[in-house]
Amino acid sequence: MADLKKMMNKRFLRELGDISESDQAGLDSLRKRVLFIGLIVLFFMTVILLRLWFLQIHKGEEYKNRAENNRVRIREVAPPRGDILDRYGKELVTNQPSFNVVLVREDSNDVDELLKRLSVILKEDVSVLWERIRAAESKQKHIPIRLKENLSWDTLAYLETHNKDFPGIRIEVFPRRFYHYGDMAAHIIGYLGEISKSELENADGDFYRGGDLVGKMGLEKLREEALRGDKGNDSSEVNARGFEQKLLAHTEPIPGKEVRLTLDINLQQAAEEAMDKDERSGAVVVMEVKTGRLLVLASTPRLHLADFEGGISTKNWNALLENPKHPLINKAFQAMYPPGSTYKMVTALAGLARGVITRDTTFFCTGHIDFGNRVYNCWKKGGHGTVDLHRAISESCDVYFYQVGMRVGVDGLAEYANKLGLGIKTQAEIEHEKAGLIPTKEWKKKTKGVKWQDGETLSLAIGQGFNLVTPLQLCQMTATIANGGKRYLPQIIESVTDAEGKVLELFQPKLVNELLAEEKKYLTWIRAGMVDVVQGARGTARAVRIPGITIAGKTGTAQVVRLEQYKHLHEEDIPYKYRDHAWFTCFAPAEDPEIAVTVLVEHGLHGGSGAGPVAKAVMQKYFADRIAVEAIKQAVMH
Amino acid sequence: MLRMDRRFLASFDWVLLFLLVLVCGMAYMNLYSATYPSPGRMPPYLKQGYLLLMGVVGILFILSFDYKELHLWNYPIYVFTILLLALVIFAGNSAGGAQRWINLGFFQLQPSEPAKLMMVITLASYYSRKETVIGYSLKELILPIILMAIPFVLILIQPDLGTALMFVIIFISMTVLAKLRWSTYIILGASGIAMIVLGWLYVLKPYQKQRVETLLNPAHNAMEEGYQILQSKIAIGSGGLFGKGFMEGTQGHLHFLPERHTDFAFSVWCEEWGFAGSLFFLLVYFIMLIWGLHAAMSAKDRFGLFLSFGVVALIFWQAVINLLMILGFLPVVGIPLPMFSYGGSSLLTTLLGMGILLNVRMRRFQTESTLEGCDG
Repeated sequence: MADLKKMMNKRFLRELGDISESDQAGLDSLRKRVLFIGLIVLFFMTVILLRLWFLQIHKGEEYKNRAENNRVRIREVAPPRGDILDRYGKELVTNQPSFNVVLVREDSNDVDELLKRLSVILKEDVSVLWERIRAAESKQKHIPIRLKENLSWDTLAYLETHNKDFPGIRIEVFPRRFYHYGDMAAHIIGYLGEISKSELENADGDFYRGGDLVGKMGLEKLREEALRGDKGNDSSEVNARGFEQKLLAHTEPIPGKEVRLTLDINLQQAAEEAMDKDERSGAVVVMEVKTGRLLVLASTPRLHLADFEGGISTKNWNALLENPKHPLINKAFQAMYPPGSTYKMVTALAGLARGVITRDTTFFCTGHIDFGNRVYNCWKKGGHGTVDLHRAISESCDVYFYQVGMRVGVDGLAEYANKLGLGIKTQAEIEHEKAGLIPTKEWKKKTKGVKWQDGETLSLAIGQGFNLVTPLQLCQMTATIANGGKRYLPQIIESVTDAEGKVLELFQPKLVNELLAEEKKYLTWIRAGMVDVVQGARGTARAVRIPGITIAGKTGTAQVVRLEQYKHLHEEDIPYKYRDHAWFTCFAPAEDPEIAVTVLVEHGLHGGSGAGPVAKAVMQKYFADRIAVEAIKQAVMH
Repeated sequence: MLRMDRRFLASFDWVLLFLLVLVCGMAYMNLYSATYPSPGRMPPYLKQGYLLLMGVVGILFILSFDYKELHLWNYPIYVFTILLLALVIFAGNSAGGAQRWINLGFFQLQPSEPAKLMMVITLASYYSRKETVIGYSLKELILPIILMAIPFVLILIQPDLGTALMFVIIFISMTVLAKLRWSTYIILGASGIAMIVLGWLYVLKPYQKQRVETLLNPAHNAMEEGYQILQSKIAIGSGGLFGKGFMEGTQGHLHFLPERHTDFAFSVWCEEWGFAGSLFFLLVYFIMLIWGLHAAMSAKDRFGLFLSFGVVALIFWQAVINLLMILGFLPVVGIPLPMFSYGGSSLLTTLLGMGILLNVRMRRFQTESTLEGCDG
């Protein structure tokens, strides 16, 4: 032991001797090298400080923003969408809470197992639920994924009471559109749907996010900006895993604006229900003649709005596409029809204005007219005999108007058609409006490449041939005739009011154009003829008469095809799709017109019988009070 | 052995101690913030307190004997450390796919940390024994290279590339100080480059290659490696001039910053104290290192000079690599900022190193007479 110690000491001394006997020169050179190495330390210190200066001072603001973006999560709070009311404030569309099941993946540790149990409660296949999750896979884990919408009360109650058994599952309250009058005015009101990719890309500003609901059709789409309101915000601090730590700021959403329509929902309902009888397919337009307010804008068959909620199923969509009555098309202005005899008012006005006829000019109707190498028939085979303007209109004599049309010419007819709003879009606030077609010589040359045939003018004069109009145009024309020559813009919005009650927009009649004083005089004669269409002993729409109310109107039949094979058939035996369209357009009361009503019934055969009853029902509703007073008067007198 | 000479006290380096206390104080504050809230029986700041106490004891222990005794004990220390490193591979605790720790019950020892200090002592011992004027030849370097290569390989297979490379860096630093012949420089440089190329092709694991690639092109993999560097830069940059205030950093407290109390601890400091605070810290830290070099220069013999130089180099290179990493100049390698990053082994090793520095400073006027005190 002592030996070892001695040995260690010996070695220790020797070793220390090794390192201690340093010559001073060697040590000094080493010290110089250390001093030099000190410069390396300073160099790195400078590099590090410069870098710190660059990051903290030069780029400090930028990184501050990035740190804020890291830390603050802004969650949007959806505003309640604006209500849609009718003219008298009756609620058409409002919001109703709906309850959805959502999954927050970050709160659930076993999604697979959870979905299995949930599928039983929701009565939904597991694969359907998985599909929803897969669709939202790219989203962050704290963002809720909607698994099922519109829970029933039972399901809701069960999930609420058993929420501990379903970690990660939450109930989301979501405002849902509620249609107080069912599918009434469905085409005009429209529906909501999830915003599409292209809509998201084309949208102004950054209001929309994927999954937002936007108006897809009708006023929901046209007035999207007013109805949607402004989103509120919750700014919360989140940690790196996305868990919210505390609420930093909150702004309330601004509710959507209330949009009041000019529609009278009771009248709309009366019109649609009248169309429903005999399952009429077509359109009803009712317009206030002195303002342009649209009281009814109906198209049948109706759309079923509930089918569109949350995206329409392929099955339902295909059914709509294949339906021969084309429910997707709003027939009031998205479909065009030959005006038939309703066009005779245009021909009459053109004739009078161009001076080819006067009020008292007569033509003799033998039931047909030969022109060129063709025979043009009057609808009345036996003929009307001697016919003046008044009788020509009230009895709808074709031959009279062949004569007038022949004299005025195609371009003359077109001029007055245009003055009355035919062949041009009304510019009303509606989607996909059709302009119709009022042919001219130039038009035919351009589109068909052939010269206008004078015989075609004859067809035009009675509303057949190339002529095409929409029910809305025809209603506007009727209103223009009724009010004495002022063409008003058809309008659908009565007012727009924000949540504080401030009126942002209020209905104002807009005059589009006005006939000359001379022409206005001619309208009184035409109106007189129209009165006798209904009120006259030989009028074509006597069935429309309503006691106490003087109605002036005009029937029309729009030929769909002119097929020889059906000529010999009874009208009822002609296949539906080849039957003529029925028009009836009218205004009332004739003495001081208030409303113009235009009805089109597709394949309704005759204006008076096919379309007349619908117009009658509408007017009975509109004049209900006056009719009741009249009835009492009658009762008292007897 | 514990007898203290009054002259030792007189020549004690109070400046170095003051700088050391200042650095440790800032580190402690920062640790408190970076780990807040820290639930549990043993929150990191409490553990750090114990470690600092252990460090003080360690420093006192180092001061109690002449640093020259380290020269004598060099090989026993070397062998013991190598055994520990070998033990880690067979019986170590693993974390993140690497085996780095030995569980001592109260403390998880990471032997690669004291091994760094061991390397410094070993090389100081070797270079102080052999003096040279014209520089070392390649032959004379064979032994130190082997001494360095053994721990290097043992740590590399843990795997811990960053720490392993520290041994090469310490070796280069101390060898360059010792002076080489030009021919030796050229041969070593060429074979070093060859090693890097071969290492890249055959030795580096994919994650290590990815780290280097991420640095060269951060946008390439922003979600993983780049994420850490990006969050660090955001934390540092968002501190601005005066910082967000103590405990107010959002990047750290909301966990956007990874490893916020260990490797990225200084990012938290920069976020909370801004450019002013980080400037202050770095000045203190680098003055401390410069002062350490001053200590090396004032050493009375070659061993003391190499020893203190090695300790400074060890701290300096780790600090530079860590800082350049969190500032986005280097890939993410697990190199801590000595004394500032949380980590017991690293802290104790560094404090022992500082103890050696203080020892060298304290005994700068001593002569052989002190040996008497050791005898027995």
